[in-house]
Amino acid sequence: MSNANLIILLSTISTGLILGAIFSLVAVGVTIVYGSIWMPNAANGQFFLLAALFGWTMTVSWGLHPAIAAVLVIGLSVPLSYALEFVLIRRFYDVPNRNISYFVLSLGITQILAGIFAFTYGQWSDQFQLPPLIGGITFIGPLPVANNRLLVLVLALAILAALFALLRYHRYGRAIRAVFQNRDAAALRGVNVKASYSLSFALGNAVIFAGGILFALAYSFDLTIAWTMSITAFAIMIIGGPGSVLGAFIVGMVFGFTQAAVSTVASPTIAAFSYLGAMLLILLFKPSGLFAR
Amino acid sequence: MTEVLLEAKAVSKRFGGVVALKNIDLVQHRGETLGMIGPNGSGKTTFVNLISGHTRLSSGSIAFDHVSLAGKNPSQVAKAGLTRTYQAVRVFGELTVRENVATALVDARVRLGAEAVDELADWLRISHRYEARAGGLTLMEQRQLELLMRLVQQPKLMMLDEPVGGLSSSEVRTMIGLLSELKSRCTVFVIEHTMKVIRELADKVVVLMAGEKLAEGSPTDILADQRVIDRYLGTADA
Amino acid sequence: MTQSFKTGGRIQGHSANLLLLAGFAIVAFVLPIALSGNRYLAFVAGVTMIHILWACGMNLLYGYTGLMPLMFAGIAGISAYTVVDLTANGWSFWLALPVGALAASITGTVLGLPSLRLKGFYFTLCSLVIQTVMTLGFIYFSGLTNGDTGFSQIPLPSLRGEPLSSLSYDLVLAAAAVLGVMVLIAIMRSTLGRRLIAIREDDELAAMLGINVTGYKMIAFFVGSLFAGVGGALYAPYIGFISPRSFDVLISMNIWLMVAFGGRGTIWGPVLGAALLAPLSFFLQEYYTIKDVLYGALIIAVIVLMPAGLLGSLGRTPRLPAAEIDAPVPRRSPK
Repeated sequence: MSNANLIILLSTISTGLILGAIFSLVAVGVTIVYGSIWMPNAANGQFFLLAALFGWTMTVSWGLHPAIAAVLVIGLSVPLSYALEFVLIRRFYDVPNRNISYFVLSLGITQILAGIFAFTYGQWSDQFQLPPLIGGITFIGPLPVANNRLLVLVLALAILAALFALLRYHRYGRAIRAVFQNRDAAALRGVNVKASYSLSFALGNAVIFAGGILFALAYSFDLTIAWTMSITAFAIMIIGGPGSVLGAFIVGMVFGFTQAAVSTVASPTIAAFSYLGAMLLILLFKPSGLFAR
Repeated sequence: MTEVLLEAKAVSKRFGGVVALKNIDLVQHRGETLGMIGPNGSGKTTFVNLISGHTRLSSGSIAFDHVSLAGKNPSQVAKAGLTRTYQAVRVFGELTVRENVATALVDARVRLGAEAVDELADWLRISHRYEARAGGLTLMEQRQLELLMRLVQQPKLMMLDEPVGGLSSSEVRTMIGLLSELKSRCTVFVIEHTMKVIRELADKVVVLMAGEKLAEGSPTDILADQRVIDRYLGTADA
Repeated sequence: MTQSFKTGGRIQGHSANLLLLAGFAIVAFVLPIALSGNRYLAFVAGVTMIHILWACGMNLLYGYTGLMPLMFAGIAGISAYTVVDLTANGWSFWLALPVGALAASITGTVLGLPSLRLKGFYFTLCSLVIQTVMTLGFIYFSGLTNGDTGFSQIPLPSLRGEPLSSLSYDLVLAAAAVLGVMVLIAIMRSTLGRRLIAIREDDELAAMLGINVTGYKMIAFFVGSLFAGVGGALYAPYIGFISPRSFDVLISMNIWLMVAFGGRGTIWGPVLGAALLAPLSFFLQEYYTIKDVLYGALIIAVIVLMPAGLLGSLGRTPRLPAAEIDAPVPRRSPK
């Protein structure tokens, strides 16, 4: 293999890993919320963008260190989630077929946030870039990779690992998973179902915010990323199986690599077509997804 | 007895690896009331679902009025003159009783005139509720409406899935009275999980147990059948 | 007290509907003439007529058949692009219009097929994906669509060699809207309407009553898409400009909102919704960010505060939310 080809291969792998980890984060966040409160959050891309834009304001406008900004942004998601849950989300907890109401509701939220972003950030800049967490470059074979992106990758994977551990071993996580599986049985076993709902909503959104800020730290972005991310996260969730955290992780990584590979050999439109096509096929022929719980 | 109306041969149904029904043979003649009993999960509703076209057979064959039902969907089965009710009562809750009945008439096999509809509604004691929203009726009234919607279609065979489920004991008595009169209007196939209703209505009883046919015979024979007593009637389930 | 099945009001309020229809027709035809002095307002009225037609089609699908297709605008786009391409190749507009509308109908029927397997949220999500693919398609197949740029300066159609005046085309649009409402009223008075409502309320029960659910869902898609297609064909030369953005998911949502806000499953609710919201979005065109926020807020308000819509809330006794209990919901089922 020639050096140039090796570089292309390695760069595809590294981009695939970073994108895959971030896709996984967002899709895991979306699937946690769907699995627990049955809300297919089409506004996930806007939440993702909101985190990225907050990060931009804190670092570029206020001059905060990116690490501090990242922590603040993720922390900020908690009160925002609880407020949204209190005002809108909890009204539907007992409504049958609430997933369609939630879906339309989240499309409304999408439109509001898109309007606000276009009115504010859209007038300030076309392209947004955050300062890196750390400087320097590491050579992986012949390929130079920015230490900053490697750190983003490590952080994303660490958050995913922590999330798996939380859902598997911690009592909060076990409560959330119990509600995932059977709301009534969980209630009978003494799980406070409503509290676990707000908790999973906040947790899911915090993970989406983490994805947003990490993406912003690794790549520059514009406002159109929100809708792309929404569709991608939905495709991952549907293919992986709605409510399946493992499915979201695996399919998210696959999508990351697909995106990286297809972008090197073909156009991003082709990548989008292939996601949407895969999602349609799964919807039609195996709506419970590949990794149904 | 007269001619055969419904004939199931070696009917089996598997869901994934689970066998829900295994080699069921069954014959019902025109005018004969057939009762099917068995504990919850014995496959009674699955059997009705197979006949009404809601579920596909894994193997075996079903013929209704000398025509195979293979591959027919529920609307085609209904058009052939076979109708059913559901364990949990099902009416168009947002529509009025009148609209419910009108909907049942739209694709009926035989179009019934308004007077004949009124006659049926009077007999079912529901004609005073024409303007009421079906969702606001009592359970008993909804069951009466359900029967009316089936009867205006002039079915040859009506399959009733637990027709007295959820009714009070006085309503159960009324319903049993209606159902024994129903027998003169069309052939009836009734599923119950206890002998109580079956004993009063059925000419012939089939006992299902874990997806297999355990016994078949007249209600008196079944009540005396030692295997049925041991495995089902003797248990708390019946 | 015993009542008769026959004597009770057949379909209630039909004479009221005809009266309203007459009133609507008068308004629709007088408006362009009254506003002929003010081209801008006449134009807003014309655009509103197209949206009324669209809202009627969406109402047939969403309000009466219980399907929520978020690809409605994309289907209208198929017709609009077909008509523009055909007229650019020398076809008469009046020949291209039925061809475009038919193309939209067939597309809509095919793209509606997933509704046979998927229900509720899953079908809506599927239709959203289809809409996104269609928008990408409008951009990607630039040979037919001129890509992101779209087509501009689409001329108004001509009749017997003479280009139509703005006023005459306004009257064509009014006629289309009135005809759309008439067709919808006729459908809902026919047995087709009964069948569609039965499918909306409980399609399994409908099938058990002998209704061919598959066939009638397809018919609903065919007719609903025909409304979309006729609207799309009339839209292109009226606005004079189409691009993928003219028929994207936001437009689909807007049309859905007109139906839901006005009152789905009523004849006049969606007409009112379109009459209120279409001019609003037009007046706010310069401030599209405010429009987005307002529409988003309206979507949330409809979902949270008035699920039956304006006329739905007035016309019927409020529906109690079904079963306020912790009913276990079959979460994994696609239904």
